[in-house]
Amino acid sequence: MSRPITLALVATLTPALVALFLAATPFIRRRGAPAAALTVLGSVVSFGAAVMLLLSRLGQTGTELFTVPWIRSSARVIAEAGVHVDGVSASMLAVVCFVALCVQVFSLGYMHDEPPADFGRYFTYHALFLFSMNVLVIAPNLLQLFVGWELVGVTSYLLIGFYYKKPSAAHAAVKAFWVTKFADMGILFALLSLFVATGTFAWNVKLEPAVATAVTMLLFLGVVGKSAQFPLHVWLPDAMEGPTPVSALLHAATMVAAGVFLVVRADPLFVQSPTTRTVMLVLGAVTALFAALLALVQTDIKKVLAYSTCSQLGYMVAALGAGSVLAGFFHLTTHAFFKALLFLAAGSAIHAVHSNEIGKMGGLFKKMPLTGAAFAIGALALAGVPGLSGFFSKDLVLEGVEHKLHHVPYVILLATAFLTAFYMGKVVFVAFFGPPSSEQAKHAHEPGWSMKLPLVALAVLAVVAGYFAAPFARLYGEPYHFHFGVGAAVAAALGLGGIALAWTMFGGGKRENPQVMVTVERIAQSRAVNRLYEFGYRRVTLAMADAFAWFDRYVIDGMINWLGYFTIDAGRRARPMQTGFAPDYVLAVVVGAVSLAAWAVLR
Amino acid sequence: MNELRTLWVPLAVSGVAIVLLLVDVLSPPGASRRWLGWFVAAALAAIFAGTFLIDGSGTARGVFEGGPWTVAFQRLFLAGGVVAALGGVDDVARRTPLRIGEYWLAMLFSLAGMCLLPGARELVFLIVAFELMGVPLYVLAAYAKTDAPPGSDPAKKGLASEAALKMYLTGATSTAITLFGLALFTGMAGTTRLDVIGTAPLTPLGGLGLAFVLAGMGYKLGMVPFHMWVPDTYEGASTPFVAFLSVAPKAAGIAALSGIFLFGMGSHRAAWGPALGLLAVLSMAIGNLLALPQTDLRRLLGYSGIAQMGYLLVSVAANDAYSAGMTLFFLTAYLFTNMGAFLVLHAAAEASGSHGYDSLNGLAQRAPGLAASMMAFLLSLAGIPFVVGFWAKLYIFLAAWRAGLVGLVVAGIVLAVIGLFYYLKVLQAAYMTEPGALKKPEMGTGLRLAIGICVLAVVGLGLWPRPLVDGSLAAAKSLLDRPAAATTVNVVPASVRF
Repeated sequence: MSRPITLALVATLTPALVALFLAATPFIRRRGAPAAALTVLGSVVSFGAAVMLLLSRLGQTGTELFTVPWIRSSARVIAEAGVHVDGVSASMLAVVCFVALCVQVFSLGYMHDEPPADFGRYFTYHALFLFSMNVLVIAPNLLQLFVGWELVGVTSYLLIGFYYKKPSAAHAAVKAFWVTKFADMGILFALLSLFVATGTFAWNVKLEPAVATAVTMLLFLGVVGKSAQFPLHVWLPDAMEGPTPVSALLHAATMVAAGVFLVVRADPLFVQSPTTRTVMLVLGAVTALFAALLALVQTDIKKVLAYSTCSQLGYMVAALGAGSVLAGFFHLTTHAFFKALLFLAAGSAIHAVHSNEIGKMGGLFKKMPLTGAAFAIGALALAGVPGLSGFFSKDLVLEGVEHKLHHVPYVILLATAFLTAFYMGKVVFVAFFGPPSSEQAKHAHEPGWSMKLPLVALAVLAVVAGYFAAPFARLYGEPYHFHFGVGAAVAAALGLGGIALAWTMFGGGKRENPQVMVTVERIAQSRAVNRLYEFGYRRVTLAMADAFAWFDRYVIDGMINWLGYFTIDAGRRARPMQTGFAPDYVLAVVVGAVSLAAWAVLR
Repeated sequence: MNELRTLWVPLAVSGVAIVLLLVDVLSPPGASRRWLGWFVAAALAAIFAGTFLIDGSGTARGVFEGGPWTVAFQRLFLAGGVVAALGGVDDVARRTPLRIGEYWLAMLFSLAGMCLLPGARELVFLIVAFELMGVPLYVLAAYAKTDAPPGSDPAKKGLASEAALKMYLTGATSTAITLFGLALFTGMAGTTRLDVIGTAPLTPLGGLGLAFVLAGMGYKLGMVPFHMWVPDTYEGASTPFVAFLSVAPKAAGIAALSGIFLFGMGSHRAAWGPALGLLAVLSMAIGNLLALPQTDLRRLLGYSGIAQMGYLLVSVAANDAYSAGMTLFFLTAYLFTNMGAFLVLHAAAEASGSHGYDSLNGLAQRAPGLAASMMAFLLSLAGIPFVVGFWAKLYIFLAAWRAGLVGLVVAGIVLAVIGLFYYLKVLQAAYMTEPGALKKPEMGTGLRLAIGICVLAVVGLGLWPRPLVDGSLAAAKSLLDRPAAATTVNVVPASVRF
C-alpha cells in the first residue's frame, strides 16, 4: 500500500473507529464530553491525513488505486472496494475533513447546553457522517460511491432528526430521507443499467449513446434529490430543523455537494450524453434563479441560507451541464468554505439571540464583532465581491456557461448573481447593523473560543481560497489563467450593485419594507411561484408518496394481511387433527403407511 | 483388528456406558452422582476429539463401513451428546437425584446406536442399530415422570408417562411397519446387503416394501402423518432431554434414510422420490400451520421441527451427492440451533414455571445474554442471514433446485415464510415485553456452557460456513460418488443428477 492510499484510509477509517467505539460503549458516549473529545480528536487525525495527502498530490496528475475484491461470483469479481486517490478525491477529502473539523469544534460550544447523553449521541453521529462522506469521496467505483451516498443519507436523517422529540424535526428528517431516497432509486437503476450494459460499476466506460443518456439521466435524478435541485429541493429548507452546525456541515458544505461530486466523478459518463448535460444546464439555472427568489423573501436566517444553498448548487449543476467540470468543482470547494462560515456565524448569532428571525436581531455587529465580521466575509464571498473566493469560482462558472454560448442560462445566472448579492446584503444590514430589534439582541455577546476559532479558520479560507484556483486546476489536470475580462467585470458589478441596492433599502437601520420588496414578495409568493413550489412538493413528491402508500397499504398490505389471516386460520382449523389420543396417533401411522403403500402399488 | 478399528466410536461410547454403569453400581448408595453428567460430557468430548486422530475408515465384513460420511455423522451425534450432557447435568441431578446413572446410561446406549447407523451397510445390522438408538429414548422420555418442575400444575404430573407412551406406541407400530417393508424388499432383492440391494429390478411387491420402509423411517423423523407423537412428547418429557431428542435421533434417522434410500436404493428413486416429496410438503405445511396457534413453546418447537424435517426431506429427495452433503450441513446447523433454543427455553421456564410465550417475557431485560442467544437461535431457525440456519436453508433449497425439484423448493420457501411469523413472535416475547414479576433465570455452569457452545456454532458457522460445507460435501461424495461398482446399476436420468 503506497503512502497516499494509507493516508486516505487513515482519513476514512479513523472516524469509523471512533463511531464504532462510541456505539459500543454507551457508558462513555452518554457522558458526553469524552465522546466529543474523541470525535474531534479523530477528525483532527483525519484532517491531518487529508492535508498530508493533498500536499503529496500537488504537482501530480496520476491516479493511485488500491482495491480489494468485494462481491464475487463464481467466475469473477463483480465489484471491488477500495481507495481511488487523484486530485479530485484528495482535494474533496481535505475540504470535507476541514469543514467537519470546524463544525465539530464549533459544536463543542454550540451544543454545550445539551444533556450529556444527547451531546455524546450528537458527536457519534458526526463521526459516522465523516466516515460515510469519506467512503463516498475515495470510492474507486460507482457502487462504493453509492454505499457512501446512502450512509450519508442515513446519517443526515439522524442529524436532521437530532431533536427527535420535536415533531417538526422528526417530520423534516423523514421528509429529507424520503425525498432523497426517492431520487436514489435513480442511482440504483443507473447502477443496474450500467452493470447490465458493461458488467462493471466503473465510471470511465464507453456506452452506447442511448444507454449513456439513460444512465446519466438516472444518475442525475439522484443528484437532483441529494443536491436539492428543483423540483426535489423541498426537503432542504425543512432540514434546517436540525442543529445549526449540522446545517453548516451537511446542508451547505458536504452532503448536498455529494451530488455535484458524483457528476464530477462520473464526468466520463456525462460527457457521452449531450442531452443530459443540456437538461442539467437548464435545471441548474432554473434552480439557481428560483431558489434565489425564494431566499429573497425569507425572514428566518437559516432558511435564507438554505435557499441560497439550493441556488448555489444550481450554479454548480449548471456549470457541470455546460461541461465546465473544473468550474463546478471549484465552486463546490469555495462554497463549502463560505457557506459553512455563513451557517456557523448564523449559528453564533442564533445562539446569542435565541431566535432564527432576522427581524429580532439587528445591531449584532457592535455586540459580536467577530461573528459579524465572519458573516460579512461569508456574505461578500457569496455575493461574488472581487478579491474573495466566491468571486473567482463564480466567475469560472459564468465563463464556462458563456463560453459554450448558452446565452439564456448565462443571463439567468447573472441575474441570480445580482439577487444573491441583494438578499445577502439584506440579511447583513438587517441582522447585523442598525439598532437592536429585541431585548436579546441588545444583550448579545460573543461566544466562547470553541465557536470563534472555526469562524476565523473558515473566514480566512473564504477570503483566500480563490487565489488557489491555479494549483487547484492543476490537481484536476486543467490549465487555469485568471483574466479580468468583461464577464468578470459584469459579474462583479452585479454583485456590488446588489449590495448597494440592499443598502439603499435596508441600510442604516431601515426596518420598513420598501415598496419594491413588497412587490418582490408578492411575486415570490404569487400563485405562479407557489404553484411551482407546490408542483415540486405536492405534485411530484407527495403524489408519488401517496401512490406508493396507497399501493403499499391496500395492495401489498392487503394481500399480506389476507394471507396472514388465512394462514393463522388454517392453523387453527388444522388443530383438531391432534386429538391427543394415542390410538388416533397409531391410526395415523397405519393410515399413512397404507396410503403410501397404496400409492406405490397403484402408481 | 482392523474391523474393530472401524467400529471404534460406537465401541468407545458403549465402553463409557459400561464404565458408567460400574461406577454407578459400585459407588456408595448415598454418594452424590451429580458428576456423572460431567463425566459423560468429558468422555464424549474426548471421543469427539479422537475422531480427528483415529482413522476409522474401512469396512467391517461389509456390514459396517467407516469413512468421511460415517465420521461426520458420528461427530454430529457426539457433539449433540456433549451439549445434551452439559445442558442436562443440573436438571437430572435436581429432578431425580437417585436415578442419575440410569439417565446417562440410557443416553449413552442410544448414542452408541446412533453412531452405528451412518455406517450400517446391511439391513439387519441397520435395523438393530436403529432400535438400539430408539428404545433408550422411550425410557428417557418417561424419565421425568416422578416430579414435575416446581410450581407446575399437579394434574400435569403424568405428562411424562403419556409422552413416553405415545412415543412408544407409534414407535413400535412404525418399527413393525419398517420390518415388514424390509422383509418384502429383501424378499424381492434376495439380499440384505445395501451395496447390491439396488441392482434388482423393482417388482410391485418391492415397491410396497419401499413404501412401508419410508413410512417407518418417517416416524423417527416426525414426518407427517407419523408426527403426532412429536408435540406431545416434547411437551411431556424433560426439556434438556427434548433438546437432545429433537435433533440427534432426527440426524440418525436421516443417516438411516440416506443409507437405505440414497446409498442402497438410489437407483429406484423414481419409486420413492415422489412419495418422499409428498411427505416433505405435508410436513412443511402441517408443521408450519400447526406451530402458529401453539401457546406452549415446546409444542411450537415440536411443530417447527416437523417443518424443518420437511425442508430437509426436500434435499434428501434430490438424491445426489451434492444435496446429501447439504443435508448433512443442514443437520449440523439444526443440531446446534434447536438444542440451543430448547436449552434457553429450559432456563427461562425454570425461572418462570411456565413454558408459554410468557415464560420469555422481558427476557432481554432480565438476562440480555440469554435473550441474545435466543435471538441467534430463532433467526437461525427462521433462516435469516448471517446465522448458520440461513446457509443451511439456502444450500438445501439450492441443492434441490439444481436437482430439478423446483416445485418442492417453491413450496418450501413459501411455507418457510410462515415460520418467520411464529419465530419472530417468540422473539417479540423476549424483546418487546416487560418482565413483570419474573426473575432472572439462574443457570448452572453446564447449561451456560451448553448454550455457549450452541451460540458459538450458530454464529461462527453463520459467519464462516465454508469449511463445514466443503467437509459435508466431501463426506457425501465419499458415500455416493464412489467409482461405479460393477454391481450397481444407475437408472436415474442424467438430468436429475448433479
